Amino acid sequence: MNSMTSLSKYLPYIFEGSLWSLGLVLGGLGIGFMIGVMFSLIEVYNNSPLKKLISLYIWFFRGTPLIVQLFLFHWSIFPALGIKSTPLTTSITVLGLRSGAYQSQILRGAIGSIEETQMLAAKAVGMNDWDAISSIILPQALRIALPQISNEYSIILKDSAICFILGVMELMTRAKYTAIATGIALIPYLVAGLIYMGLTYIGTKLFDLIYLKMKIPGSVEG
Amino acid sequence: MIIGIVAGFVAGWSLRNYLGETSKATIFRGKFSEPPPPGKEVVIVLGFDASYPPFTSINEAGEAEGFDIDVMKWIAKKYGWKLVFKPWDWSTIVTALENGDIDVIASGMTITPERASRKIWFSIPYYSYIHEIVVRADDNRSLEEILNSGQPIAVQIGSTAEKWADKLLKKGYRFEKLCLGSYVEALEALLDGRAVAYITDSAFLNPHLSKNPELKTKIKVLTTLGAPETYGIATRPEDVWLREKINEALSELMNSPEWNELLKKWHLE
Repeated sequence: MNSMTSLSKYLPYIFEGSLWSLGLVLGGLGIGFMIGVMFSLIEVYNNSPLKKLISLYIWFFRGTPLIVQLFLFHWSIFPALGIKSTPLTTSITVLGLRSGAYQSQILRGAIGSIEETQMLAAKAVGMNDWDAISSIILPQALRIALPQISNEYSIILKDSAICFILGVMELMTRAKYTAIATGIALIPYLVAGLIYMGLTYIGTKLFDLIYLKMKIPGSVEG
Repeated sequence: MIIGIVAGFVAGWSLRNYLGETSKATIFRGKFSEPPPPGKEVVIVLGFDASYPPFTSINEAGEAEGFDIDVMKWIAKKYGWKLVFKPWDWSTIVTALENGDIDVIASGMTITPERASRKIWFSIPYYSYIHEIVVRADDNRSLEEILNSGQPIAVQIGSTAEKWADKLLKKGYRFEKLCLGSYVEALEALLDGRAVAYITDSAFLNPHLSKNPELKTKIKVLTTLGAPETYGIATRPEDVWLREKINEALSELMNSPEWNELLKKWHLE
């Protein structure tokens, strides 16, 4: 009983971790989105050597564990570039670069699902490439990709727990420390699990709302 | 080709870092090689594994607490240093010290020849303890039978207890090494039956038992292992000034009555 009351005192400490987790996720998702849009457009519409570089990038970020990427950036690449990075900024950057690789593939698929005739039609009415992409293709592609980006959100949310390896005090780490300090193993982790479920619920609901608001009746995404 | 260039660049840099480390110890000036200019505030980033009570853990307010934390606070107060507490995962804590993410490790770190000769140099020892093999109280098998059972024996990954498991395996005993994230989790594994035994040390077990007396009837110490070992505060080799200051303060503290009070406070007597 005594240990249970001491456990309840740790709850604010665990809850505070959700702010760190959310920070990691929103930062990562945001950076990832910008990279994703850029890279998917290059992959679809550009035939330069850039395309090769991007596929290397994607290969690296999808092909290696997050832990390896965190170490590599924090202890090799950033110091080599002379950047003094804190664990939090490294974590957000790496989560972003990594998510960029995944989101570029999500968006590439979305762009690919839009009929090519639309591009031709846009050009036929006198639009240049960029106008056609920015006002015809992308608005549709982003809508089509939305459910998958919401998926990506819930994946990064749980991936972010790994950032503890660089000392970022996110949700899971706090659950672990609480479990150790109180000697109760199960409950702190369950609490963390419930918070993750809550964050996933809120996040995906938000994406659903955007999706409903933006939906075009009769278009590909249904 | 591009992969080659990138990989070469990264590998070269890591290698340079690694090779540089040995020479840095003697040639290069570190952050705390010499006394700071007067009037400049000394800020020490203390790295610790918050999963090692009673030496280092986190309290309800999310602050660092424990014996080692109190010792470092005492030292910092003596010199007027500012301490920044940085919890860090045990598996990468040495790399974090080398790379300057943290400046000292005070976290029940055992002084071992490998650690001391490689990249970190220790303060004078401040606490000694001995390793132990612990089993469930109702297990009547002998040490020999347990070590040859082929069943899992739990240890904390990266700890000196894991080193002991490796040593025993090398000697030809047949058991499975079960590596877990902390001493507490390893003990949990013993209690719920995932492991038949558990290698720990008196520095963790004794205070843990006095804090959780109900455990005393559930487990027993089967044997101690080897000779007593000691904890020291780890610093980067080049930080000579910092280490000297820590040693000076440690000897003063250990010779004062406050030392025994600290030990008593954390059930470490």
